Amino acid sequence: MTSTGSVVESVEAGNATVSLGNVRRTYYLGEPVHALDGVSLDLPDGSFTAVMGPSGSGKSTLMNMVGCLDTPDEGTVHVEGRNVTALSGSERAQLRGTELGFIFQQFNLMPRLTAAENVTLPLVFNDAVDVDRRERAETLLSRVGLGDRLDHAPPELSGGQRQRVAIARALVNEPSLVLADEPTGNLDTGTGAEIMDIFAELHAAGRTILMVTHERHIAEHAERIVHLVDGQIQEIEQLDSGAHTGGSQ
Amino acid sequence: MKVTESFRISWRAITGHKLRSGLTTLGIIIGVGSVIVFMVLGGAFEQNIAQEIEEGNDEPGMWVHTQQADSGFGDSPFVRAKFFTDSDVAALESIDTVEFVAPSARFPVAQLTHDGHQRTGGFAVEATTPERLEGDVVEGDTFAAEDEIVLSKEATDLVEGGLSVGDEVEISFDGAGSGTFTVVGIVEPTSTGGNSLVPTAGYVSLSNYETTIETPDGNQERAYRDLIVAAESSEVLDQAQQDTLEYLRSDSDAAQLKEDEHVLKAQTVDDAIDQVGDIVDQLTVFIGGIAGISLVVGSIGIANIMIVSVTERTRDIGVMKAVGARKRDVIQLFLVESVILGAIGALLGVLVGLGFGYLGVSVIGWPMVLPTDWILIAVFIGVTVGVLSGLYPAWRGAKVDPIEALRHE
Repeated sequence: MTSTGSVVESVEAGNATVSLGNVRRTYYLGEPVHALDGVSLDLPDGSFTAVMGPSGSGKSTLMNMVGCLDTPDEGTVHVEGRNVTALSGSERAQLRGTELGFIFQQFNLMPRLTAAENVTLPLVFNDAVDVDRRERAETLLSRVGLGDRLDHAPPELSGGQRQRVAIARALVNEPSLVLADEPTGNLDTGTGAEIMDIFAELHAAGRTILMVTHERHIAEHAERIVHLVDGQIQEIEQLDSGAHTGGSQ
Repeated sequence: MKVTESFRISWRAITGHKLRSGLTTLGIIIGVGSVIVFMVLGGAFEQNIAQEIEEGNDEPGMWVHTQQADSGFGDSPFVRAKFFTDSDVAALESIDTVEFVAPSARFPVAQLTHDGHQRTGGFAVEATTPERLEGDVVEGDTFAAEDEIVLSKEATDLVEGGLSVGDEVEISFDGAGSGTFTVVGIVEPTSTGGNSLVPTAGYVSLSNYETTIETPDGNQERAYRDLIVAAESSEVLDQAQQDTLEYLRSDSDAAQLKEDEHVLKAQTVDDAIDQVGDIVDQLTVFIGGIAGISLVVGSIGIANIMIVSVTERTRDIGVMKAVGARKRDVIQLFLVESVILGAIGALLGVLVGLGFGYLGVSVIGWPMVLPTDWILIAVFIGVTVGVLSGLYPAWRGAKVDPIEALRHE
């Protein structure tokens, strides 16, 4: 792979927020495990993609690649046109802070910070953004229905409320891509449905979303489902997502 | 990441574990506090001695004496032998910058008798010249004849019934015969009697002094252990000291009479204060250094708690990295936290140290001296301890793999 090639590729990937090119990632746990074995995938701007697959199929590794937390042994990853493999650790950190928003199954809020402070945590590490944080937190928390919980610490919030705070945090930097890893995994069905309604709103508002889940009915909120098996894409299933997004509006 | 941000977040982490942070800081408080206490006590002790020396010596002058050659550590012992002859006294007095030379000659007193009342030992009588008489004559006059004595004020109640001008006293000297003296005056001494531990009860004429030595010229002359050389003024004191030393070390009888390992010294009050200061400083730093060991223990405490803290917050570190924290942001967060612990410990330590130090000197009755330089050093050390003990934990935090960390329970 020459550098010229990657430039050309990044130009080609212009209309895709994320573009994976023949990505391979192998872990050595006694014997080699091919977590990703030649995966190529584009996430077009504004798309909503779900990733499904059994455990060990490479879902998490795929998330980590797209989330710039990991780099491939072979192949290329482009996020917003930037070649992630060529970036240093701190450049990837900055890319995560400006272009990506993470939503985790465990919510992963900072227990000692208030809801508002958790929402604006990414801004702390991004000196370039100079906004009224309180105002930003208030806007985002109101959008997820927590306008009256700004100063509550995570332990004072329910699971569903915590995930809403996490969603607000994922949006605070106006990211190009929202990554969600089993966002409803720790929630009951009703709360999970409410969270998925928020995802539908985000999608309707034009956000690019990549979501990993093992629940079919959750994955069906997306436009398409990528089925991973043994580190390879087995099938990309197109869904008629209009009914879902439309239904929630 | 802005430093103010890291202060805010680190402060949250510190106050989130109040007991733990408190105990960690306590290590530094004790370390810095004990160092400061010793510095306060040392400084006060030094100041106290300096004040006492200065109070007894308001005339510009120097103390000429003999000392063992420098042994390399601390102060060399004084030589008690008598090497300064009358010729030396005369030669020194002829120096322009010198106002007068007063040889010191003390007789330990065995017994003092007046009107049938006796007092035995514990004090001395000094044979001197009227100029040398250190103090204000508050009653009567100074001595003029060989059998006249000026008593120090404290000595007037040495015997039952008291002593006053006009009384006759009989004094037997320790191994130097005896004599009858008429009290002609009372003096309020301004000096505590030089380097002597025995109080001076009175002053008599130098003509009572009979210790002689054979000079290099073959004459018998009176010889003295030490001399007070008074300068014409404070302005010429340094010059007088130089001139005096130059004479003593070249032409003087003392230079030839003394033994090879002896050194002739001319010490001004400032020299004496400096010398005492040096000794006290050495002691203070030595003891302070021992106290400083607890600082090392304190810094290990900080390092320990920071490592625990990093392990405990592995998941938080993962989250921070996922939302854009770089390695140096993580390092900054943990370093700021340990520096805050160190700095708070040092500041409180300074306050505690000053408090106990003040209590100490108040009880003893020494003047309080603020060890400003040591306060700055202590705060600097506290911050340094914070940085050093936070470096390794912070580095461990920074190299946490976010993927692993987010999986961490």
